[in-house]
Amino acid sequence: MSSRDDRAKEALRWIAPAGRSIDAVNAIVAAPLLERQRWSWRTWWIAFAVSLALTGAMAISIAWLLIEGIGIFGNNTTVVWGFPIANYVWWIGIGNAGTLISAMLLLLRQHWRASINRFAEAMTLFAAAIAGIFPILHLGRPLYFYWLAPYPNTMALWPQWRSALIWDFWAISSYILFSLLFWYIGLVPDLATLRDRAKGTMARTLFGIFALGWRGSARHWHTLHIYHMTMACLGVPLVVSLHSVVGLDFAASLMPGWAETIFPPYFVVGAMYSGFTMVIVLAAAVRWGLRMQALITIEHFEVMAKMLLAASTIMTLSYCTEWFTAWYGGEGAERRLVVYAFTGDYRVLYWLMLVFNCVIAQAFWFPAARRSIAAVVTIGILINVGMWLERMTIVLNTLSHGYAVSMWRTYAPTLWDFLLLFGSLGFFALLFLIFCRALPVVSMHETRRLLSAEAQP
Amino acid sequence: MSALLVAEFHEAGALTTAARAATSAGLPLADAFSPFPIEGMAELLGETSTRLRIWMFVGGIAVAALAYATEVWSAVYNYPIDSGGRPEHSWPAFLLFPFAVGIFGAALTGFIGLLVKCGLPRLHHPLFEINGFERVTQDRFMLALHAPPADADKRSAVDWLKQAGADNVWELEW
Amino acid sequence: MTARPPIAPADAGRFDIDRRRALTLLAGGMALALSSCGPPREEIVPYVSMPEGMTPGLPLTFATAVAPFGYAQGVLATSHEGRPTRLDGNPRHPSSLGAIDIFAQAEIMSLYSPDRAQAVRHGDDIAAWSAFEGALQAQLEQEKLRRGAGLRIVTGRITSPTLIRQLQALADVFPAARWLRFEPIDDDAPRAGAVAAFGEPLVTLPHLDRAKVVLTLDADPLGPGPQQLRNAAAFAKVRQSRLTPDDFLRLYAVESMWRLTGANADERLALAPQLMRNVALRVAQALGASVDAGDLPDRARRFADAVAKDLAGNKGRAIVLAGDTQPPEVHALCHWINAQLAAPVDHLPPVDANDKSHAQSLQELADDLGAGRVETLIIIDSNPAYAAPGALKLRELIGKAPFSAHLGLTDNETAQRCQWRLPMSHALEAWSDLRAVDGTASIVQPLIRPLYDTRSAHHVIGLLHGDLGADPYALVRETWQARATGDFESQWRRWLHDGVIADSAAAPVTPPQPHLPNVAPAQGTPPLTLVLAPDPSLWDGRFADNAWLQECPRPLTHEVWGNSLKIAPQDAAIHGLRDGDVVKLAHDGVTVAAPVRVQDGQPAGVVAATLGLGRNAAGAIGNGVGFDVYPLRGPAAGWHIEGVTIEATDQRHAPPTTQHHFRLDAEDKDILRTLAIDDLPRGTASSQDRGESLPSLLPRQNEDGYQWAMVIDTSVCIGCNACIIACQSENNVSVVGPEEVEAGRIMHWLRVDTYFLHEKDEPPGFQPVPCMHCEHAPCEPVCPVAASVHDGEGLNAQVYNRCVGTRFCQSNCPYKVRRFNWFAYSHDQAYANLGADTVTAQYNPDVTVRGRGVMEKCTYCVQRISRARREAEKTDTPIPDGGVVTACQSACPTRAISFGDLNRKDSSVNALRHEPHHYAMLGHLGTRPRTTYLARLNNPNPAAQDDGA
Repeated sequence: MSSRDDRAKEALRWIAPAGRSIDAVNAIVAAPLLERQRWSWRTWWIAFAVSLALTGAMAISIAWLLIEGIGIFGNNTTVVWGFPIANYVWWIGIGNAGTLISAMLLLLRQHWRASINRFAEAMTLFAAAIAGIFPILHLGRPLYFYWLAPYPNTMALWPQWRSALIWDFWAISSYILFSLLFWYIGLVPDLATLRDRAKGTMARTLFGIFALGWRGSARHWHTLHIYHMTMACLGVPLVVSLHSVVGLDFAASLMPGWAETIFPPYFVVGAMYSGFTMVIVLAAAVRWGLRMQALITIEHFEVMAKMLLAASTIMTLSYCTEWFTAWYGGEGAERRLVVYAFTGDYRVLYWLMLVFNCVIAQAFWFPAARRSIAAVVTIGILINVGMWLERMTIVLNTLSHGYAVSMWRTYAPTLWDFLLLFGSLGFFALLFLIFCRALPVVSMHETRRLLSAEAQP
Repeated sequence: MSALLVAEFHEAGALTTAARAATSAGLPLADAFSPFPIEGMAELLGETSTRLRIWMFVGGIAVAALAYATEVWSAVYNYPIDSGGRPEHSWPAFLLFPFAVGIFGAALTGFIGLLVKCGLPRLHHPLFEINGFERVTQDRFMLALHAPPADADKRSAVDWLKQAGADNVWELEW
Repeated sequence: MTARPPIAPADAGRFDIDRRRALTLLAGGMALALSSCGPPREEIVPYVSMPEGMTPGLPLTFATAVAPFGYAQGVLATSHEGRPTRLDGNPRHPSSLGAIDIFAQAEIMSLYSPDRAQAVRHGDDIAAWSAFEGALQAQLEQEKLRRGAGLRIVTGRITSPTLIRQLQALADVFPAARWLRFEPIDDDAPRAGAVAAFGEPLVTLPHLDRAKVVLTLDADPLGPGPQQLRNAAAFAKVRQSRLTPDDFLRLYAVESMWRLTGANADERLALAPQLMRNVALRVAQALGASVDAGDLPDRARRFADAVAKDLAGNKGRAIVLAGDTQPPEVHALCHWINAQLAAPVDHLPPVDANDKSHAQSLQELADDLGAGRVETLIIIDSNPAYAAPGALKLRELIGKAPFSAHLGLTDNETAQRCQWRLPMSHALEAWSDLRAVDGTASIVQPLIRPLYDTRSAHHVIGLLHGDLGADPYALVRETWQARATGDFESQWRRWLHDGVIADSAAAPVTPPQPHLPNVAPAQGTPPLTLVLAPDPSLWDGRFADNAWLQECPRPLTHEVWGNSLKIAPQDAAIHGLRDGDVVKLAHDGVTVAAPVRVQDGQPAGVVAATLGLGRNAAGAIGNGVGFDVYPLRGPAAGWHIEGVTIEATDQRHAPPTTQHHFRLDAEDKDILRTLAIDDLPRGTASSQDRGESLPSLLPRQNEDGYQWAMVIDTSVCIGCNACIIACQSENNVSVVGPEEVEAGRIMHWLRVDTYFLHEKDEPPGFQPVPCMHCEHAPCEPVCPVAASVHDGEGLNAQVYNRCVGTRFCQSNCPYKVRRFNWFAYSHDQAYANLGADTVTAQYNPDVTVRGRGVMEKCTYCVQRISRARREAEKTDTPIPDGGVVTACQSACPTRAISFGDLNRKDSSVNALRHEPHHYAMLGHLGTRPRTTYLARLNNPNPAAQDDGA
């Protein structure tokens, strides 16, 4: 069977010799969960402490926000949006990659996804959840965010369905729940494995409960496979629509620099871009921290670097399109805005953004760069900074320099803006660290399947 | 109340060959258990249905339709509001909400459908009694046949399985 | 968060410390405040309906007068359940003509100001009036012995006939006593000039509406002051688009600093004050005077010649006005020129009864205090300790009087140097009478019993007469009984009802032909000169405790909560200064630290600053805001100080501004369009720009019933800010304080935009920007909770209690007219002591007070629309054109704002929307604004310009 043959080849390519047996796979993946004593967790504890501290900072700034009001942020009458919106777009971007990897690569039969999709999906969940917090926190009256949902109320009012924020609200909610299902259903067979490997009763019971009594029946495998594939087919349009809607938050307006038809696709690519970089960073961490060298190989980094290179090129193209349409459209405000972006108050941010997003990824034309984990990770982090800057400049340039010349104002973030941003990073790290010690970070059954092909005659 | 013969193999390949042989030998297959999906096994077991997809489609459409209906009813009939001179029934703007929740609706229907079809969650199952069954979620493979009622046939079936490469064969009431 | 500017009061945090401090301080008065609300005992006569017809919820309106500058400004006071809430102009009053300036409007805030003096104080201890009366009588016994030789009464400008009567009557009791009158914003130079020209201190009233050419030499007829409203109205009459270019006024301004007149002039020349006499002399030459005109820079000479030609060519309709900075002889020269031009000006006998000059009065006071000749010092509503020229050292001297008392609204710098601090009743709390500049008298009727245990000036002067129970009501009636003809009571009722006393205005006198004064031309270039001017928002500083005025953006600069030293770009380059650099401004050993502002259009070699800031006894609001230039003034006051030095320091802080300044690029020009009156027939502001002809996919909305719209005529907007304060008092708009303004957060629903153009150093004009109430409002479809919605009458409404504060509406508003409550500005996070209970008493009960986290914006005064609708429905008739008057519209002295129903074919807005120079701001965006503009018309004279002739 041809598909089996190429799967066999794939297995050889994506799994290092040390991991080329079913036992090995089970052992490697289960070790951090079931045989913790096998290595020291010092680094883990340090990371945990740091992220816990940052999470505390986030909690404090949220409390202060609710007490004092959103005046504690740096926004002003002209630049009414600031960090929270940029953070939100950035996080939701990262939240896209997991599902893209799982769903799109699954449909494209990219077998290398087997080693990374599990923690990528976890990352998606955490990132999307954190992203969801920001639009609520940036509200003037955060406690009333639920007014965006249609429910019979004393005001006899309904949401205003034409608002992109409503689309957002629902796209995110649907997306988070969808990803949760997708992630969990893929997790069930592995939970069963852990149930059956676990020594302690505690672990057995917990894994057992969440494994739902999975027993590897061929009939179940069959149904699971159908469900998984269908979910993948649904996931791709959902994830694309999600970030298109985020793009529409800006594009469905009439402000210069926002009202651009290119925004939805270019936001989707941007999301994939920053998401993949985050996956790379986490992959490196997992590989090293949980000793997954056998399952997460240099090959993975190389192929993801190629993805980054492609994305970077598309982003560059999108920026050029923006500039071109601004010039070609002939609207004074649009043209002025482009000039302002390059020469105005936020020019440093803008230039840095261009360097990080368009230039440095070009290093991946060279195999050496693609195959050096250090290089890939460093570039990945810079690109993520660049993507955050992109969202920042999108928000700030247009709002600071819109049509009403007399109301032009610049924006200066406050301590609280930064606390909330870095706090959210810490919270994300915290969630991920806990995930690493509670659940298998690599999908065992998919890797086993990959191996099986090569094992069979 | 039926009896099962459960045979353990340590090779996915052995399992599939045994299963094929059994079907050709007229021994009725009950089920197969493996740490990963084995291609063709489901077909041997006669699992071809794709009704799950239809459920998901229906569920998705239903939720989307409900969402769109809510929009139209609330924005056009229940509480029409002039919002920037836009039409009360701004259908293009009304599409994204149904789309998003529709997809989630499909996913949820599918999930429930999956559980129903597989009869999960079922935290305990007679199979778990089999000593060593825990390894089917790791590296072992098991084939379950409907045991013939007559003891003579049952014994021959067990021998047949042993020849087919089964390491162990259990009989189990179910 | 932005750092608090060093000038801000040390205790002016956003949090409530000050308020608490203030509350504890004022606790005593508070009880009184709450108990004593209610109408005064005496009968007061409402303007529109009888008191017995008072129905709860229906406001009553009373005609009365306030005196921001000592002169009367007729107002209509609105009172809800006996609680005055706002002031509007009185159409019958010549100094109001239905309009009202920012100062008179802010009086309502002063009434409720938490910083008001609320109890008699002896030193720092709270005392009783009886205690003061006792002490005073004892003191007066001694004074009687020496015939009042030690008694000095210091007042501001007094125009109240009753008070004047009382003061003059004192002469019988204390022949040797002296009444000294001191107004920081004096009129000494014009008076002296008039004396020189006519032999008597006549007051000149120009009739701009009868003029074709006007030249001002540092005069500011359109600027703040007692004549602003009258002049502005006249100015508007001759700047109408319907006029032929020949009747359209051409305004020339020669200025040593930016004044409103210059900002509205067709041709403006920036010139040092000392050189202006040469311009006047050139004009005199052109009119046949054989005088030496001295020398002028090229640009100035070209300008002067063009003006002279224009003036000479328009005899009978040309006026020349000299301003404060000009010496008496230049005023006299201008009188002579006006006489030659047969200028349309009136000359009136002065209302001000005290014929001594302000400078003399002060000098005398200082000398007497210095020589210990003052035994009893009574200061009534005047603040010499702060506002007197520093050279007189009055701050120290006042303490030398053995017995001193100060009667005032606040315990100001002077009060704090007196033994007795007496709380004065506000103009809305006590009976009095006042005269306007032209002599028109009004009865001041109180709308509310004194909030605290306060007395009026009449009462205190009465005490000096030995009359413990002096009753202002009786005194005022007494005054006018003497002048009544026939039945007094009916006349009295009529006067109260009208707010003016019929034909009480002084008749213009025809003065003798002024002789040509001998004016020596200025030679050479003067040394660095400091020009002073009253502050456009705080006047002489008496309003420093008024939060509305502190946060009222100065015209052109948009500075609030502070002032700056205006310096020309050339001078700034010389000293290496940029905006916000603090310099040491020194003269005669007195040094003041001032932040500079590099200002285009400021003459080189001249720096300018406004008086009235840097107070330190103005309470939680006004303390330590800005820098004080009074100390630099010489003994003779004077409006420009020669030979000042500026020295850069390494400090920096600029006063916060509500707008930053950007030069308009070519593509933005049509935001505020200008059009020469000669080009009007070719109408360049085309109707295309209304955006109505733009294609739209959107369905036509149902447009039956009323469809409200506003048209703003930018050619008559003089930038006086009256609309801003009117909106603030009508709509309970919060004051946010300097830190928040610094952070870029402002609350004014209506802003007055000014731009500078790339080519010229002059602003194209002023542009009031309320909400545009777009028919296709971009703010509405983006609101997720339908808090921003459109109503059936074309209003873009904001539903406060539905708003969750996403601010998507503001980010999608091309005009940026929405305002967000970042903090609870109106509640527990109010600035300084503005959370005090008394302040909330000012709120207009018809308008919601917005809470934290919601968006707010201009509503077209929807509460006034619905009131008009209720009235109309009673009689079952449609609302007539002009039946709804928005707050901004009602205050505007030039009637630049029109409001009405588009569905009325005969409505004024419909007519204006068909003017050739009508346009919609950013109309090409297809938002179809309901607020639209008329392009600014000007009447330039190429001959007067740089490239000219």
